[in-house]
Amino acid sequence: MSEPPALDSSSADVGEPLLQAVDLTRHFRIGRMSSRRMLHAVDDFDLTIGQREIVALVGESGSGKTTVARLFAKLYQPTRGEIFYRGRSVESLRSRKDLLWYRGETPMVFQDPFSSLNPVFRVSHGVMRCLILHRPELSRAERRQEAERVFGVVGLSPEMLQKFPYEMSGGERQRLGFAQALAVRPKLILADEPVSMLDVSIRAGILNMMASLRDEEDVSVLYITHDIASARYVSDRIIVMYAGHLVESGPAETVLSRPKHPYTQLLLSAVADPRERAPFISADTGEPPKVIDPTEGCRFRWRCPVAIDECSRITPRLRPIGTAHEVACHVAVPEEPGSAEATG
Amino acid sequence: MPEPLLEVTDLTVDYQTEAGDVRAVDRVSLTVEPGEFIGIVGESGCGKSTLLFAVAQLTSPPAHVVGGKVLFLGRDMAEVGPDELRQMRWRDYSVVMQSAMNALNPMKSIGAQFKDAMQAHSEDSAEAIAQRSAEVLELVGIDAVHLKSYPHQLSGGMRQRSMIAMALLFTPRLVIMDEPTSALDVVAQRSLMTKIKDLQRSLGFAVVFVTHDMSVVSHYSDRVMVMYAGQAAEVARTEVIFERPLHPYSRGLMEAFPSVRGPRRALTGIPGRPPDLSHPPAGCRFHPRCPEVMPACLQREPELLPVGGAQVRCLLYESAKDGS
Repeated sequence: MSEPPALDSSSADVGEPLLQAVDLTRHFRIGRMSSRRMLHAVDDFDLTIGQREIVALVGESGSGKTTVARLFAKLYQPTRGEIFYRGRSVESLRSRKDLLWYRGETPMVFQDPFSSLNPVFRVSHGVMRCLILHRPELSRAERRQEAERVFGVVGLSPEMLQKFPYEMSGGERQRLGFAQALAVRPKLILADEPVSMLDVSIRAGILNMMASLRDEEDVSVLYITHDIASARYVSDRIIVMYAGHLVESGPAETVLSRPKHPYTQLLLSAVADPRERAPFISADTGEPPKVIDPTEGCRFRWRCPVAIDECSRITPRLRPIGTAHEVACHVAVPEEPGSAEATG
Repeated sequence: MPEPLLEVTDLTVDYQTEAGDVRAVDRVSLTVEPGEFIGIVGESGCGKSTLLFAVAQLTSPPAHVVGGKVLFLGRDMAEVGPDELRQMRWRDYSVVMQSAMNALNPMKSIGAQFKDAMQAHSEDSAEAIAQRSAEVLELVGIDAVHLKSYPHQLSGGMRQRSMIAMALLFTPRLVIMDEPTSALDVVAQRSLMTKIKDLQRSLGFAVVFVTHDMSVVSHYSDRVMVMYAGQAAEVARTEVIFERPLHPYSRGLMEAFPSVRGPRRALTGIPGRPPDLSHPPAGCRFHPRCPEVMPACLQREPELLPVGGAQVRCLLYESAKDGS
C-alpha cells in the first residue's frame, strides 16, 4: 500500500497565495422585485488558497459553499468584499482577454457528471473546445496530443476520446470533467462536490486523482464537500462553513483531531464508520437554518449544545486558537499546552 | 421460529432490449423475518433497485420477472391480482423511493398527498385521515403544521422524512427503501437512519434497505446482502460481514470510504467498472476487478455457498471447503 496522498505535501510552505478572498459577502434578494428581504448566502468570508494545496470547504446544503465557488468562478458578483487572484482584483477583470485568462487559470468541475456533459457530442469535443479557446497556439496534432496527455493524467485511456458520454460510467465522466479542466493548464481547480454523486467504491479513485494533480501537475484544488471524512483524506487544509459564515479553519489533521467548533464536532460525530462501534448519539436532525435578514449572533446557536448568552448577542469572529487553527466561537478554548500530544 | 415475512427464491429479472435480454437480477434468494432490518449493498447497475421493484411487484416493461418466486405473508405475489395488489400496497408493504424531490407532487401540500394515499386505501373519515396524517408526521420528527406545507418549503431531509411518514400511514409489515438517505448531508443522513431504526424497533415493521454505501447500514441492519452484477455475492449477519468480509468485493466496499479517526490510510477503492450485464464476464463476474483473481475464476462461475456464518460466492472458499 502506498502512502496516503495528502501526507507528503506540507501546507507550511505554499509560497505566494494564488487566490485570496477578503470579507467576501453575497446576499440574494428573495421574493418579489420590490421585496427587501435578503438571504445572506455568504457573509464576511476570508480565505487564502496557496499554490499546490488542496483546500476542502466543508458544509451542509445551504451553508453557502457553492455560492463561494460561484463567486470565485465569477458567475456571481460579490455584494461586498473582494477576491484577488495572484494579486489582481478579480472584479477588475473585464476584457475578454482577461476573463479568458482567469477562467483558464481557475476552471470549475461540477457535481453532476450526468447533466454537465453534452450528450450529442463525442467526449473529445469538450476537451478540444477548451484547447482551441484557451490555447490557440496549438496545432491540430498538438491539441490531439495534449488531449491524450490529460486523459492519461486523470486515468482515462486515449481511446475514450472517441466515446459518447452515455458510454461512460459516472466515475469516468467525472475524470473527464477534470481532464477538461486540466487541458487549459489551470492553477486552481474549483471542484464543487465532485464525488457526491458517485458510488462510494469509485470515490477513492477520484480523490486519489485530485491528490496526484496537486503533486504532479502543481495544481491547487478547492474541494467543496459535505463529507468531512473525504476532506480529511485528500486535503491539506479544511475550512468549515455554517450558514454563510466561516466557523473553523486549520490544517486538516488539526481540525479533525482537535475540532474546536461545536458544528465541526457534530459533523465528525455523524460520519458513519463500521470500524467504529459507537452509535451516533445526537438529537440533531440536520436542519440548516434559513439565513434571511439575520440579526447579530452566532448562527449555530439554535443547534449548539454549549451556547451561552453571548452567542445570541454578538456574532463570533474568527480568532486563532492554535497553530494556523482558527475558530469563530465564543465558547471554544485553546488546547492546554502539553495536551496536544495526548489527543493528537 | 415464526414464518418469514418475505421469502424470495431464485428471483430472476430480465430487461428485454433490442440487442437481446439483459439479466439484471440473477437467481437472488432472500428471506426477511418479521421486524428484521436487511441492508442490500452494491454499486450502480448491480441490480439492487431492480430487485426491489420485482419484490414490490412494480416491475414494468422492458423488465420482466422470468423466474423465481416472491412469497409475502405466505402468498405467492405473482398470483395476486392487480386489485388486491393495490390493496396490499401501503397497507401491508410500502416503498420509499430514492429521491423525495421527484417522488412528491410539487403542486400539492404534504397533507393533501397523505390524504390521497389514505383515501385510495381506506374508507376513513376526513377527521380520521387528518389525525393519522398528523400522527405519522410527528412520528418522523416533523411538526404537524407542515401538513400544510408544499414540498419546496421543506428541506431535503424533511422531504425524505415525510416520504417515510407517508409509507407508515397504515403501519405496514414491510417497508422497502431505495437509497432514501443518499441525497442528504452527513448529519441529516445519520439522524434519518437513527429515526428509521427507532421507528422500526417501536412499530415492529421489517425494512429492506438498499444503498451503495456500506457504512450507512453498518450500525442499523441485522443482515447485509452484497450484490454484484445481478447476483448475491455475500450474505451475512451485519457484525459478521463487518468483522470479516469474505468476498473480495465486500472487502473492497469496506475499504472504499475514508475514516475520520485513527491513522490516515491510502484508499484504493475498487478499480475498473461494473460489468456490462448484456455481456457478463465468463466465470466469476467479479474477476476482471478482483485483486485475488486465480486462473480458475476465468473458467468457472462460483456458487453461493455457506462459509462459516455467511454465504459467499467466491472460488477462494470453495477450494477451502473441499480441503476441510
